Amino acid sequence: MALLQTVRLEHLPYSHEIHIALYRDITNASFLQQQLLDGNTNFEYALIDAGVVVSKIHALAAAYRAVSDLLENRLRSRNVHSEIVFSLSPNNNIAESFRRFGITTSTTSLLIIKVSTPSSPASASEVQAHLTSSIEGEQVPFEDSVLAEMTDVPRVKKIYKLNSGGGGGGAKRNGQVNGGIEGLSVNGVGMRNGDERKELENLVLGAMALRGVTN
Amino acid sequence: MIAIGLEGSANKLGVGVISHPAPGKPAQVLSNIRHTFVTPPGEGFLPKDTAKHHRTWVVRLVKEAMTEAGVSINDIDCICYTKGPGMGAPLQSVAVAARMLSLLWQKELVGVNHCVGHIEMGREITGADNPVVLYVSGGNTQVIAYAEQRYRIFGEALDIAVGNCLDRFARTLEISNDPAPGYNIEQLAKKGRALLDLPYAVKGMDCSFSGILASIDILAAELKANPEQRDSITGEVITPADLCFSLQETVFAMLVEITERAMAHVGSNQVLIVGGVGCNERLQDMMGIMARDRGGSVFGMDERFAIDNGIMIAHAGLEAYKTGFTTPLEESTCTQRFRTDEVFVRWRD
Amino acid sequence: MEAQAIHPCAANSDERVLPSIFRHPSAAAPLLITQGAEALLYRSTYLLPSTPCALKYRPSKPYRHPILDARLTKHRILSEARVLVKCRREGVPVPAVYALDEAAGWLMIEWIEGEVVRIRLNEWLKRRKEEDIAEGVDDGELLELMTRVGSAVGRLHAIGVVHGDLTTSNLMLRPRSREVSNGDSETASKMLDGNVVLIDFGLASQSQADEDRAVDLYVLERAFGSTHPRAESLFVEVLREYGRSFKGANVVLKKLEDVRMRGRKRSMLG
Repeated sequence: MALLQTVRLEHLPYSHEIHIALYRDITNASFLQQQLLDGNTNFEYALIDAGVVVSKIHALAAAYRAVSDLLENRLRSRNVHSEIVFSLSPNNNIAESFRRFGITTSTTSLLIIKVSTPSSPASASEVQAHLTSSIEGEQVPFEDSVLAEMTDVPRVKKIYKLNSGGGGGGAKRNGQVNGGIEGLSVNGVGMRNGDERKELENLVLGAMALRGVTN
Repeated sequence: MIAIGLEGSANKLGVGVISHPAPGKPAQVLSNIRHTFVTPPGEGFLPKDTAKHHRTWVVRLVKEAMTEAGVSINDIDCICYTKGPGMGAPLQSVAVAARMLSLLWQKELVGVNHCVGHIEMGREITGADNPVVLYVSGGNTQVIAYAEQRYRIFGEALDIAVGNCLDRFARTLEISNDPAPGYNIEQLAKKGRALLDLPYAVKGMDCSFSGILASIDILAAELKANPEQRDSITGEVITPADLCFSLQETVFAMLVEITERAMAHVGSNQVLIVGGVGCNERLQDMMGIMARDRGGSVFGMDERFAIDNGIMIAHAGLEAYKTGFTTPLEESTCTQRFRTDEVFVRWRD
Repeated sequence: MEAQAIHPCAANSDERVLPSIFRHPSAAAPLLITQGAEALLYRSTYLLPSTPCALKYRPSKPYRHPILDARLTKHRILSEARVLVKCRREGVPVPAVYALDEAAGWLMIEWIEGEVVRIRLNEWLKRRKEEDIAEGVDDGELLELMTRVGSAVGRLHAIGVVHGDLTTSNLMLRPRSREVSNGDSETASKMLDGNVVLIDFGLASQSQADEDRAVDLYVLERAFGSTHPRAESLFVEVLREYGRSFKGANVVLKKLEDVRMRGRKRSMLG
């Protein structure tokens, strides 16, 4: 299977496919970031630090939000690709979202998303060819298991403010003795690894959906 | 069978005579007379003055109602009066009149729940078989549906009644109370354009109006202080008409919403609006749109029967009387608090 | 959620323009599951055909002023989403929030597998009746369910959220994770199994008032009572567990007695 994945997201038109590639051990992050800063039109990608991505769903959710907002003419940032980065954010600070989720000079694991639109269509082979020639690093499959190795979980929790609150509190947890609830706490007492990761994903999705609404 | 009904729970004194011919035949209204205690603009009606009004007029109204109906004392089967709910002093003055008639004419008394009177009259007049009832007046705001011999209250106002909210705002604006403050708010609202932001207070099937009244009073005070204020959306100068419009749009949307919720709950698509506020055409329109969307219809009444009247008391009282219900003289009291769901509705299946 | 699909009826027949989420393609078109007074609930998919979701849509109400309508829809979508996110963060079992569009009036949340307590309880009671088991005999299963319900409601209240419409139709029993059914027909003893998940937060609010909490319990008590008299008597189990679930729960239980006395309703001045 090709390492570059092409996805048609549910509830989006077929004309807006997305291409996704994942790289590790990137050595030219500075160069790539500079292309974005220079506004090089050959580099119209969402370049995301994979260290803050929890799962495939997490990344796809950001793409979905950005493409939806593009279609509804309500982009808040420059274009659909910067909007994907912004869509990962739990608040309305665009510049901060780029610093937190976008590529930085120290990025080593990189998630790349390219949206094909009717006005600038991009085929999988074109995208793959350009990435192969521009990215210095090892391309790996866009899979949860691969992402899991890259995720800096404490950082994710910090960004999405998931350490506070009573989720891990002692007194309220007695219900679990009765098996009342599954997959509840990010700090999960007795929660299996996969469940914990899934719950982190759920909390992150909620925070993204409420971007700028709470607090 | 023929009954005379006396109603005086608020500022309207009503006397009516009704005839129930054979079972299955529609009731006949023989007379329906009303006299309203109207106060000057900016003033509400006080219990003491209202009671005095009722005492002054009740004999005259009974005579008129009997004459207009063309019946004699012998034709009357029972004397129905409003037991409650309502304002204490006015209720008492009418109860005293009813007792006097009972002793004088040697007829049985039937104490009637005012709200049940509205509902039964509404069903009779409109032919609505088993509707969800929105009862909206100066004293009551209830969403009611019938189940197992009771009119059950699904939702209600948690503080002041919607009619009271409208009446009190009419006082704030010093709008005429003739023929009714709510009527004059409605006329003014027709000229309103701008929708101003007011609290929207629906909680499940209940709602509250005091916060809205406080907010609209503040807006009115601001308008008085600075008549040149403009609406942020339309850019037009805000007028008292806009205030009336905004108030109506907001409180009526709340009423329609709780009614729709009750309809969904009981699976009915008929709505019956009773009570004085039910005369408002905008409320009827909004309710009609909602009911149509649900594939149903709304039943409204004109002011003869929607506004407090004696005939509804006579009608509901006669329904109860036919099942053997009477109110002994020594129990012919009245009460300010009398919930709709306290009445055992023996006359329905 | 409940299995039977209700077909779109009068409310939709006039072809009002649906938001784009309904118009763009998806592996399976949104399927209408339930229709309330204000909201329509669909089953659909989120991002990938393999991720089911519930899509709650609040259509515009033509009877209200468009400005008021837009304001209410927006407020309600956001407030429901806020409450759900808060619950989830604090470990209260509710559906996760996936996405929303407050202007278009929709909220997309996690699809909860399983069935509502009302249905399971009815089946359980029916099965026992058929098997001729006397009431009070061997009903540990039911007692345990009541305990789980009490715990879930207690957790909800503990974090300062009241549900506003807490009926047995808004409590789901979700099959425990990774328990693959072995193909046997469900036995009565398994029927009340599963994790309790609270659903439908359309009337929920953030409140710490004992009165609001007590009304939640009262509504739930009535809902159990209307299912079966026996279920109502076992409601004490819900309350027992609830009383243990957070500090201040006992004050709520005291308040519940007041609420019961007046049947939720206030005395009305004429």
